[in-house]
Amino acid sequence: MNRYLAILLTFARACLVRDMTFRANFLLECVTSLGWMSMNLAFYLLVFTYTAEIGKGTGWSKEPFFAFVATGLIINSIVQAFFMPSAEELTEMVRTGGLDAVLVQPLDAQFLVSMHRIDFSSFANGAVGVGLLAWAVSRMDHAPPPVAWALYPLLIVCGVAILYGLVIMLAAATILMGRNQSLYDFWFYLTNFSRYPAEIYSGPWGGPLRMICTFVIPILLVVNVPARVIAQPFTGESWGGVAAAVIAAAASLVVSRIVFQRALARYRSASS
Amino acid sequence: MHNTDPNAAAAVADPVIEVEGLAKEYRVFDKPEGLAASVRALFHRTSRAVEAVKGVDLVVGRGEFVALLGPNGAGKTTLLKLLSGIITPTRGTARVLGHVPWERADDFRRRFALVMGQRNQLWWDLPAAESFRLHQEIYRIDPARFEKTRDALVDMLDVRRLILQPVRELSLGERMKLELVAALLHEPEVLFLDEPTIGLDVVAQHTIHEFLRDVQRRRRMTVVLTTHYMKDVAALCERVVVITRGDVLYDGSLAEIVDRFTTHKIVTLDFDEAPERALIERFGFPCEFRGPQVVLRIDRSRIADVLPEVLAAAGVRDVSVEDVPLEEIVAELFRSDTRAHAAAEAGS
Repeated sequence: MNRYLAILLTFARACLVRDMTFRANFLLECVTSLGWMSMNLAFYLLVFTYTAEIGKGTGWSKEPFFAFVATGLIINSIVQAFFMPSAEELTEMVRTGGLDAVLVQPLDAQFLVSMHRIDFSSFANGAVGVGLLAWAVSRMDHAPPPVAWALYPLLIVCGVAILYGLVIMLAAATILMGRNQSLYDFWFYLTNFSRYPAEIYSGPWGGPLRMICTFVIPILLVVNVPARVIAQPFTGESWGGVAAAVIAAAASLVVSRIVFQRALARYRSASS
Repeated sequence: MHNTDPNAAAAVADPVIEVEGLAKEYRVFDKPEGLAASVRALFHRTSRAVEAVKGVDLVVGRGEFVALLGPNGAGKTTLLKLLSGIITPTRGTARVLGHVPWERADDFRRRFALVMGQRNQLWWDLPAAESFRLHQEIYRIDPARFEKTRDALVDMLDVRRLILQPVRELSLGERMKLELVAALLHEPEVLFLDEPTIGLDVVAQHTIHEFLRDVQRRRRMTVVLTTHYMKDVAALCERVVVITRGDVLYDGSLAEIVDRFTTHKIVTLDFDEAPERALIERFGFPCEFRGPQVVLRIDRSRIADVLPEVLAAAGVRDVSVEDVPLEEIVAELFRSDTRAHAAAEAGS
């Protein structure tokens, strides 16, 4: 484990050196990312000038909702920083045969494929997310109990694990297909569902969608469970969500591992 | 296997690579021409099996330097990929350093290295020194040993000044030297080289030949090399495995390939001035006139008898007797295999 941590730190160091080599590009990525996030926050502020709550009686008034948004920002920034750059690069590695070099190294291929590139500019969103969370929680009607604060980091990890499992399955699809340039688009469409409180998915269309996004592809557990723990009153029912998130995270990691290993066994490599 | 030196396999002591009936089949989808056919192919695709490697048998001993030769698409690189565990075979068995390669055990992967001349394995935007450091972590090389090995390798290739320069700023030859340094840092017992000198100038080729020969002898490393450059083979390898259409056509020593597949020697005669054609043509051997120089192809069995007569011809200033170039022998081997294959296809 220490070895993998040492290698991750070496990757991080190398990526930071590279980012500093292309400083203008790094700053532009930070500005673009923060700009996009600011526009989203402004849009939500605008929504709250028309309504006091997202869905009647859901408890997602302005401050709790911004705690929800902050939770999403934190989770997404971790995924975007650690996993997505490598996963996006995988398409090119499979197409050109660059994956060959990964497979001959005495290291877990999944680790190398998913974590060799770290995008430090994505941490900017995470930092804003932490600030936004502090602001939102300080203005909420109720203060989260200690158990909520204790569970929150664990549930953030679970959310990241669920998304990581999805990234790995998309990466496995890339290996099987030889080319998967829509990987990032698909990721965007899929994670879009996790950006909003689960309560909005109701009615004849919303209900089934909520079921699918909770039990089949557990994308709705990613942000909803930690956000609910911190932004809504903690009750006995909250434990059900916590258990679901932990089980979904474990299942996501196990299933994605199996899928990835099977994909690697069928890797064809590119002609030289 | 068509032509195997019977002594080659038997003579292999301390085998490091053992391959039996190894085959790799790919399914290739046909891409039809035209819009309508392309739309139809969305629903119904036709495919065919392509056998890149067909039941190869091979044994390589510790410390051997073996060349895999063959035309493009012969299956050389596929064989290397199978031996390094990158891809899984359709059938057959292989053991490299006692391991089944495609099981990808860390203990196995720590003991070999693969260098591909057409692919960059170093971090593109960073100096090679950063990649070396990462390599040290991945292969768990003791820091003192790492520095000693790295320094020795960079000095041998005279690339110390390059290791702090971003890789993207280096020439192809410089990059290849640094790729070799990275590959050898963990002191692998087996080295797979896939066209390591492709696109390099003669000076870089020569430097890499000297380096590989030196390192291989010092470490008693087993090296399997694929190349299209016969200079690589002549400079480095004692044993040659010729592969065509995924099958081993010849496996034996380099000297044997020359003896077995050539019937003549090349005799070059230099005259003070262009000789009379009749004077040379009377010997009855194929000859080529290049001004004051004449190149003859004389039967090996007759060379001792004929050469004095040829030299007695008036005005010979200088003479050289050489084997047929390796390129020519191998090309003829490929051509004869193609002809045999075409004849077999026509007959069936």
